[in-house]
Amino acid sequence: MASPALEPARAARLLNRLEDNVARVIVGKRDTVRLAAAGFVAGGHVLLQDLPGTGKTMLARALASSVGGTFKRIQCTPDLLPADITGASVFNQKESTFDFLPGPVFANVVLADEVNRATPRTQSALLEAMAEAQVTVDGETRPLPRPFFVIATQNPVEFQGTYPLPESQLDRFLVAASMGPPTSDEAAEILASRQHGDPIADLEAVLGLAEVVELQEACLKVVVAAAIRSYIVSLLDAIRLRPEVALPASMRAGLYLQRASQALALFAGRDFVLPDDVKSLAVPVMAHRLGMRGRAAAADVVAEVLATVPLPPIRHHA
Amino acid sequence: MALVKLLPRSPIEDSGVARAFAFGTFAVGCLAIAVYGQTYLAPAGTLLVAAPGYIYSHRHRHDPPDRIRQAVIAGLVFACLAYFVFDSVLALFGGNLPQANFVMLLVAVTSFELRTRRNLYSTMWMSLALLYLAAVFAWDVAFAPIVLAWLLCLGGFWTASHLKRIGAPRFQVPRVPLAAALVAAVALGGGAFVLLPQPSARPAGPLIVSLPTYVSFRGELENPALPLVEFGADPSGSTANINLRYRGRLGDQVVMYVRTGAPGYWRGLVFDSYQKGIWTATHSEGQTFRAYVDARQLPPPQGPQLGSFVQVYRIVQPMPGVIYAAAPVESIYYPAAEIRRDYYGDWRAPAPHAAGTTYSVVSALPDYTPGSLKKLAGQDPSPAVYPQYYDTGSLSERARALARQLTAGIDPADRYELVMALTRKLGSEPYRYSQNLSRVPPGQDPIDWFLFDAKVGYCEQFATAETLLLRSLGVPARLVTGYSTGEYNPTLDQSVVRARDAHAWVEAYFPGHGWVPVDPSPGFDPLAATRFPNRWATSGLARLIPHLTIGAPGAALGSLGALALGPGLAALLIVLVAASGWLWTRRRRLVRSRSPGEFQLLRLYERIQRRLRRRRGPAETPLEYEHAIVAGELAELLSDVTAAVNRGAYAERWPSPADMEELTARLS
Repeated sequence: MASPALEPARAARLLNRLEDNVARVIVGKRDTVRLAAAGFVAGGHVLLQDLPGTGKTMLARALASSVGGTFKRIQCTPDLLPADITGASVFNQKESTFDFLPGPVFANVVLADEVNRATPRTQSALLEAMAEAQVTVDGETRPLPRPFFVIATQNPVEFQGTYPLPESQLDRFLVAASMGPPTSDEAAEILASRQHGDPIADLEAVLGLAEVVELQEACLKVVVAAAIRSYIVSLLDAIRLRPEVALPASMRAGLYLQRASQALALFAGRDFVLPDDVKSLAVPVMAHRLGMRGRAAAADVVAEVLATVPLPPIRHHA
Repeated sequence: MALVKLLPRSPIEDSGVARAFAFGTFAVGCLAIAVYGQTYLAPAGTLLVAAPGYIYSHRHRHDPPDRIRQAVIAGLVFACLAYFVFDSVLALFGGNLPQANFVMLLVAVTSFELRTRRNLYSTMWMSLALLYLAAVFAWDVAFAPIVLAWLLCLGGFWTASHLKRIGAPRFQVPRVPLAAALVAAVALGGGAFVLLPQPSARPAGPLIVSLPTYVSFRGELENPALPLVEFGADPSGSTANINLRYRGRLGDQVVMYVRTGAPGYWRGLVFDSYQKGIWTATHSEGQTFRAYVDARQLPPPQGPQLGSFVQVYRIVQPMPGVIYAAAPVESIYYPAAEIRRDYYGDWRAPAPHAAGTTYSVVSALPDYTPGSLKKLAGQDPSPAVYPQYYDTGSLSERARALARQLTAGIDPADRYELVMALTRKLGSEPYRYSQNLSRVPPGQDPIDWFLFDAKVGYCEQFATAETLLLRSLGVPARLVTGYSTGEYNPTLDQSVVRARDAHAWVEAYFPGHGWVPVDPSPGFDPLAATRFPNRWATSGLARLIPHLTIGAPGAALGSLGALALGPGLAALLIVLVAASGWLWTRRRRLVRSRSPGEFQLLRLYERIQRRLRRRRGPAETPLEYEHAIVAGELAELLSDVTAAVNRGAYAERWPSPADMEELTARLS
C-alpha cells in the first residue's frame, strides 16, 4: 500500500461520524450498530437476525445510506431466481450481440432482505458472490465493485415459508447480530422521531468510497499481538472441546474474529487489538457458525468459554 | 456470579493417574504395617479388596449415588468399628495392631465409594495413619525408604491432580534445578561425613546407663529367654526360681527393642526367699486385669514423684510371658485378653511372648535423689507379717560379721548411708565381676564361697550377697531380675536389649519411698534409679502425649554436642543460598529480557492488585478488571496503569522508565 496509514484517531473520527449518522435513525442499539459497522470496515458481510419489525432493515438501509457509492436492495422471495441477483445477458438485436445487464449484486452496498425466504439455489448464488467478490455469468467472470458489502436480514426459522441457511453458508457472514426489542424509553423516542415522517429520508452519506477503502486498509494494519493470536486459538480449542458442540468453529471463524477485532480496535482509535475486542466479538462472530447438539444455545456456550479460558500471561514475547 | 457452575466439574476425580497414586499411598502404608507390625493377613487382604475397589469407583464416578450401596458401605464401616472395639478392648482377635487393622479395613470398605476428591484425601490421611502406626514400631532405617515412597506417591497424586485441574497436556520436570539439588545434597552429605568428627558407637550422653560387657563372651543360649531364671512347667513363670549353682550362657542376640523416654531397668521377676543357693518367690497369688490397666486400678507410687515416662517394648524372640516394665508401673497395655499382677508388683502375660509382641507401659518416675531418700516416713514392713524380707536363710556367721564390718561407723537409722555404703563396698575391690566362674564346691553355700573365697562373681552373686547382708542388718530387701537398659541406638531412637543385658539387682525398702532399686554389681550405678535427661520432659504437655519421646533425641545430640547442629544448619544455609541465588538469576534474566519500563510497569500493576486485595482473574482482561473493581482513590492510577499495560502487552509499546517513575510515585 503506497498510501500512508490512516491515523487511528482519524479513523475513529470517521467511524464515529458513521455511527452517529446511523444513530439518527436507529434509536439505541449502539452495540448492534457498531457490530454491523465493524463488519463493514473489516470487509465482511453482516447478517441481522431477529423478529420482524425490530429495525433490521432500517439499520441496513441507514448504514447503506451513510456510505457513498451505489446501494441496491434485494427483497428475497421464494420465486427469486439466481439471474435476478447476478444479472443476465440479453440479446441486443441492433448489434446482434449479447449485452450483460448487471443484477442488483453489482453495487457497493447490497441489502438482501429476508434472505431466508429465497430458495437455496438463489441463496447460494448470492452467497457465492459474497465469498468470491465476483460473479460468473455465461462463462464470463465479472468482478464486483470495491468496496463490496452485503448486509442480509433474516427472520427466525420458525416462521412459515423460509429456507434456513445451511451452516456452510452461515459461515460466510462475518458477523451475525440481533437487534432485540427496544426499551420503553427507546420505544417512546422512536414514536416521537417518526411523528412527522421518516428520518431515513433525510439521511446523507457521511463516508466517501475512498474513505471506506482507506478504513479497510487501516483495519489491516491494526497490530495483533502474539498473545492475542494465541488467545484466539485457545478460544477455538476450548469451543471444540465442549461436549455440546457438534460442528466446531472453523478456521475461517478464527480469521474473521481476528479481522473483526482489528476493525473494532479502530472504533476506539487504537492501532492494536485488546483481548476485550476479541471477547466482545466472540459471540456475534462465532455463535452462528456452531452446530449444537440437543437444545444447547451456541451463544451460551461461547459465553461460558469466554468466562473460563485464561488469557495468555502478560509479558514480553520475544 | 455463575462462575462456580462453569468450572470443570471434577478434574481430580477424573484423573486415573491421581487415583493410582492415592492407592499407592495406601499400598505403602500396608507395606509398612506388614514390615514393622509383622502382620500379613490384613495388609494383603485389604490390598486385594481395595485394588478392585479403586478401579470400580473410578469407572462409576459419574453414576448417580446408589442408596443401597451407600447403606451397605455404612454398615460395613460400623462393622469395622465393632471389630476395632472388640479387638482393642477385649483382644478377641489376638489384639495384634487393632488400630492398623481398623484403618486398613476402613480403606478397603470405602474404596468402592471414592467419588469426590475429599474421599481420596481421606484415604490418603488413613494411609498416613498407617505409616504413623508403623513408625511406632519401626526400629531400623528401612523405614526411611517407606516414608520416601509414601511421599513420592503423595507428590505424584498432587502433580497429577493439579495437571488435570489446569488442563496441562504434560508436566515438564525442572531438570536442571532438580539435578543441581541432588548433586548438592550428595556433595553436602559426603562433605559432612568426611569433615565432622564421628561419634563412637555408644554416645556418651546422659541417657546411657548400660555399661560395656566385661568379657567378650560368645556362645549359645541355653535358656534364651530369661537366662537367670529357671522356669517350671507354668509358662507364666509363677513357679520360677533362681539357682545360683546354675548359669545360663548369655549371647549377643537382640531380645527386645525398647522405645523409652528415659533409661531404666526393665524389671521382670522378684524373689524373696533364699535357701541353699536357690531363690524362690514365697507368694504366688496375684490379681488379673484386662489388657489395658488404667492408672486408677493400681496403687499410687509411694514417695515424691518427678513425673512419668512411656516405654514401648517390642519383643523379637519368643520368651516366657514376663512383662518387663520400669518400676513402679502407672498403667500398662498388653495385647492379651488378661494379664496378671503378682504379689510383688511384677506382671505376667497369660502365655509366652510371641516374637513381634509389642506392649507399652507408663511408669512413674520416683524422686530417688539422695536428698529425697534421706527423708524417711513411716515404718518398715512388720517382720511378723513379712518375715521373708528379713530371712537371711543359710547366711553364715562370718558373713553377718562382714556386713557389720562393712557398715561400721554408720548410724543404723540412716538407711540411705547404710545401704549405699554396703552397695559401694560390695561393688569394689576385692570383689570383681566375671562371667567365667568355676563351680561352687559341693557342700559350700554359694554366697559364703563368693564373699570369702572366690571374690569373683556376676550380678546374681553380688545381688544375692547384698540382699542377705542387708537383711542381716535389719533392712528389708529382695532380689529382682530383669534386663538392664541396653544399648541406646540413636539412629533407631530405641534401646537395643540383648540377651547379655539380663541382670539381677536388689530392692531395699525405704519407709515412705517403698522398694528402691540398688545395684551392687561393679560398673553399675549403685543407686539404680531411672533418671530423666530432662526434667521438662516429665511435666506439662509431654505427659499428655505419651508417644512423644522428648528426651532421646537430646541424647543423640548430646554425643556430638553443639556440633550436631552443624549439618542441619549447613544444609539450611546451602538451601537458602541456592534458592535465593536461583531466584536472583531468574529475576535478572527476566529483567534483562524486558525493557526497564516493562518490568517496572508489571511490578507496579502487581502492587496495585495487591493493594486492592483482589487479583485479576486468569480469564479477566485488564479492562474488565479495572471495571469490576472498586478502586477508590486508586481508580485514576489503575485506569492509567491498565491503559499502559494494554499498550505494552498488546502493542509492545512499554512506557519509558521516566514515565514509570511518575506512575510509581503516584502509588505512594
